[in-house]
Amino acid sequence: MMKIKTVDLTKTYRVGPSRIIAVDKVNFEVNKVTFTAIVGLSGSGKSTLLNLIGLNDCPTSGKIFIENTDTSLLSDRERRKIRLFHIGFVFQTFNLLPTLSALENVELSMSLAGKSQKEQREKAVRLLENVGLGDRLSHRPRELSIGEMQRVAIARALANDPEVIIADEPTGELDSKTAKEIIGLLFDINRNHKTTVIIATHDEKIVEIADMLYTIRDGKLKLEH
Amino acid sequence: MLYLSECLYNYHLRNSRRRFTTRLLTFCFRNLFRRKARTALCVLGVALATTFVIAVGSTTMRYTTVIKEMNVLFSGQVMVVSKDAIVIQAIPIAGGLFQESLAEDIKENIKEVEKAVPVLFITPIRFEEMIQLVPVNFSMGIPVEDWQLIIGPTPLKGGVGHFPTNESNSEVVIGASLADQYNWTVGKEIMVNGHKLNVTGVLDTKLALLNRCILMPLRLAQEIYYSKSKSVNIISVKPVQGCSQEELADAIEQQVEYVNALTEDERNDMIQPVLAQVETWNLGIQTVIFIMSLILVMTVTIMSISERRRDFATLDAIGAPLSYVFRLVILETSLIGVLGGILGIVFGSLTAIVLSSLYTNIPLAQFFPTILEIVPPIYMIEIFLAVVVVCCIGGIIPAINATRTRIAEILRTEY
Ligand SMILES: Nc1ncnc2c1ncn2[C@@H]1O[C@H](COP(=O)(O)OP(=O)(O)O)[C@@H](O)[C@H]1O
Ligand SMILES: [Mg+2]
Repeated sequence: MMKIKTVDLTKTYRVGPSRIIAVDKVNFEVNKVTFTAIVGLSGSGKSTLLNLIGLNDCPTSGKIFIENTDTSLLSDRERRKIRLFHIGFVFQTFNLLPTLSALENVELSMSLAGKSQKEQREKAVRLLENVGLGDRLSHRPRELSIGEMQRVAIARALANDPEVIIADEPTGELDSKTAKEIIGLLFDINRNHKTTVIIATHDEKIVEIADMLYTIRDGKLKLEH
Repeated sequence: MLYLSECLYNYHLRNSRRRFTTRLLTFCFRNLFRRKARTALCVLGVALATTFVIAVGSTTMRYTTVIKEMNVLFSGQVMVVSKDAIVIQAIPIAGGLFQESLAEDIKENIKEVEKAVPVLFITPIRFEEMIQLVPVNFSMGIPVEDWQLIIGPTPLKGGVGHFPTNESNSEVVIGASLADQYNWTVGKEIMVNGHKLNVTGVLDTKLALLNRCILMPLRLAQEIYYSKSKSVNIISVKPVQGCSQEELADAIEQQVEYVNALTEDERNDMIQPVLAQVETWNLGIQTVIFIMSLILVMTVTIMSISERRRDFATLDAIGAPLSYVFRLVILETSLIGVLGGILGIVFGSLTAIVLSSLYTNIPLAQFFPTILEIVPPIYMIEIFLAVVVVCCIGGIIPAINATRTRIAEILRTEY
């Protein structure tokens, strides 16, 4: 379990003469394995917040602590390693590499982490089977349906056994039936793998299953339960 | 925990570098293959550039070696030529005839002279009504007793035949390249300038000049080309022991005011500026061509990177090291270089021999076996490496762009 904590996290953008506060003094915390949802309308700052928490972006002010380490003190290389080994990302637009097969997309993360080729293959196959794609191993992303693409992306996120999965509107591109399946999958992962899932969405239905629910509006985060 | 993963990361990176690269290579190939037309055009561009460099480079190189070779003949001698002759490396290619008897005058009147041999050098020779654009065929008349002095200890092919023994009969020896081209063998009767000649030997030599030469006794040459007038255009003078070529040349020039007496050094100096210019032009052309390839590769790759920003941002987000992304791009451009380079060397070598054939009227088939002489392997490797390095460099800026792509920007710009 990886503890994440933010203190007065703020991100502002300068657009011409005006200043946009995308994330406004956010205090967010996960310290046990939970299914955490962040709900907000489009433009409320969900992506910006998740990019900050996932160490993909640097805050304008405020701090992010991971395992009580102030991440602003980490080098780019160290931040990369945390992303590679401890955080799994699932994007709204899947972001699979188009020239790699489903299997290779999953293997790539492990290969970057330096796993042996045999290990990569075995685990990638297992992960893809677990997300229901045992018969789609050598398909390229464009040969998959969007629901299947998102499943591959989830398998990739799990490749290095991360403590946290950060999913930014993972169902944004999907129809409601597929969306439900994907949410179910992430929920299973949370429960079975003991992996924290932080999911951003504007889908209110998540409310019922989330252990922790935050709402975000104009960059201000509020804990609902 | 973070510390442990740090150790693992470093340990595994070190141990899996090789697997890592073979994987990376397939990845690169697929990325290139994804845009077939564009990659093909880029490779073709690089290939054309390489072709051009190889063709121009090896053709000029060949001419310069031939010119340098000329000094191998007549080495150790002072060459006396008429002041109004046009000379390359002291070999008169036009004008400048004088009387053969000058050789004897020089021998008698200048004490530094050990030997003075009159030579008639003719280019181009025409036979069978064929006209050459560039002098490729030569004929040389040398008094039979003085062969050695001019051509050195050149053997005859297979030890078959003999050098002409008599001034006035019609025996000649010929260069191997001529022999191959016209299927002339020892014992064959050939027609040159309306005269029947007998081939008594084929010269076994690496010198391009001798390879394209018909060597004959001086009398015979004079008879064929100047209807018996006793004209020559070179006198090759050997200094006596202890006398330098410079001293001898000065003495000759003082005695006979209508000739230039050129020492080996002077001959080299005459050609040096020309060779240097050829070198410079060659280098200039190569540089321009390579810079153009660099721009081509860079442009194409910058475009390809900008199309794939999402991919690079994703790699960045999932924690790929910067070096991975960097290598991915550099390897892609290097592959373009490798493919273009190989194609270019093949095309370039073919072009070079086609050019040689066109310029010399020697059939193409005869050049094929000598392709590695026309385009030396070391030159091929040199150019190949240069092309790959150029493409590698062309990948640097796009690679830096690629490593700078962040997921936070992508999500916004595209959605
Ligand atoms: N790079 C940027 N430059 C300027 N404004 C930005 C940038 N990224 C985000 N924003 C602004 O920040 C706010 C939050 O954006 P975002 O986090 O993408 O919202 P969400 O993911 O909830 O839709 C928006 O108003 C958006 O316009
Ligand atoms: Mg968003």
